[in-house]
Amino acid sequence: MSEWTPEKLTARVFEILRDELLEVGGDFSPQSNLVDAGLDSLAVTQLMLSIEESTGVWVDESLLTPENLECAETLAACVHEQLQQG
Amino acid sequence: MSSSSRAELPLTGADCFLRAFDDEVRRRCGASHASQLVLRLGVGFDAGRLAALMERVAAAHPILYAPIRRRGFRPPAYRMDRARPEAAPRVRVHPLQQGRALPELFFERMNERFRATRGELMAVDVVPREEGRTDMALTWLHMLFDGAGSEAFVEWLDSVDRGERSVTELPPDDLEAAAPGMPEGLGARERGRRATAWQRWMATMADPAPRSLGGPLRTVPQALRYDLTTFDPAETEAIVARAKQSAGFLTPMLFYLATAIRAHDAVFRARGLAPGAYVVPLPVNLRPKGSEHALFRTRVSLLWFRVLPEIVGDFEALVAELKAQRVAAIKAKQIENGAIAMDYARYAPMRVYAHMARRAARGELCSFFFAFTGEFAGGIDHFLGAPIENAFHAPPVPVSPGSSAAMSLRGGRLNVTHVQQAGLLSREERQLFQETLRADLLGIA
Repeated sequence: MSEWTPEKLTARVFEILRDELLEVGGDFSPQSNLVDAGLDSLAVTQLMLSIEESTGVWVDESLLTPENLECAETLAACVHEQLQQG
Repeated sequence: MSSSSRAELPLTGADCFLRAFDDEVRRRCGASHASQLVLRLGVGFDAGRLAALMERVAAAHPILYAPIRRRGFRPPAYRMDRARPEAAPRVRVHPLQQGRALPELFFERMNERFRATRGELMAVDVVPREEGRTDMALTWLHMLFDGAGSEAFVEWLDSVDRGERSVTELPPDDLEAAAPGMPEGLGARERGRRATAWQRWMATMADPAPRSLGGPLRTVPQALRYDLTTFDPAETEAIVARAKQSAGFLTPMLFYLATAIRAHDAVFRARGLAPGAYVVPLPVNLRPKGSEHALFRTRVSLLWFRVLPEIVGDFEALVAELKAQRVAAIKAKQIENGAIAMDYARYAPMRVYAHMARRAARGELCSFFFAFTGEFAGGIDHFLGAPIENAFHAPPVPVSPGSSAAMSLRGGRLNVTHVQQAGLLSREERQLFQETLRADLLGIA
């Protein structure tokens, strides 16, 4: 069983975005819209790399739909589903 | 501290990379590596208002006409302390032109020789059209702005005109910071290792060597022109949906790149030529994500793609290959490595740098230039009170490779600007290029 719960993943995704990839203010939260916050193709691929380093799973880019990239929470849920599938 | 309050401003690595191109074009082709954007404006534009605004802007920001010079072994810099007001960009208003064809003088301006050492960095041309319309071209030495920076400049000009900003208020320059997303604090050895890794990666692109339509660099006058194709809103909607479906929500540029590769391939095939491999650099915007950014700095790296002609026939296989190469290159940290390698251009003599870039592929640099810049100046629908009817980029390309495809969206319409050295393509080849591109963009079998 993976040690990554949806909550832990959300926290990790949020942390990477806030601290490493985006220049965001104090109002940025796990529910903030990622594209509005400046997420682009490069940033999202760098995010996938960081997630792979943390979890060992590479998230297929075909899963990066507008719905999954809505916010850190939805993205973490997508990654968690992928983790569950092994 | 903003650029306007400094005595000098050093160029970034990407600036110097572009400066090496400029040097090559100046020496070999008698012109400059100058980029252009065009605004096609509706009724209500006042050229006098723009001229007055540009005077205020130039007075506040001498970087717009600061000589670019190297001092000793230090990186070249904009010398604001040496800026001469007579070199400041002035608004040139030309006679009224009939019809809707793009003004010839816009092409001529791209082939002009801007003397950077004298601070000749930018030109503004205004052409009145029938029914009160206006075409405006901003042409600048490419090292002054990248594509994103030039759009930000247009938006900033409009915000100053509307009184939303003071003319002295610029986004922060962030001069000393590492490029966004780049590793900080690397030692000299590690930087050398990363730059070498990028150079080795580039060398793999040259086996087999790419072949451009322009051929290896030669001494010939630069004579760039461009064809503009604008797709209507219904076509654009279909193209954008197809791009997302084919290449992904965040990477539609790979779909557009695939269409450009196939359009060039059609010309090669029609000529009965073997291109070796298609090698194309894709500019990557390294500006901070989600914040305002400095205007007068290019912040880009390059991702290189290489595909063999055999794969080009199958569109979806080509897109899949480009996607796989993009992820592999990002995983190998080639974007960061490229930015580090470009930093060396700040210290290397320009000719040495340009020579190194072309040496691996026997005088060729790549197959063609390509850029997809997304929505053009999406923050404004008017410029100085006049509605923006259309807007697009015309990026420069040296005589070799001689061909550049730039794509962007404006007001729900896709613009494709095909910049090419005059005479590079015959009339039939230009038509073939356009038809192939159109068929692939729209998915017409």
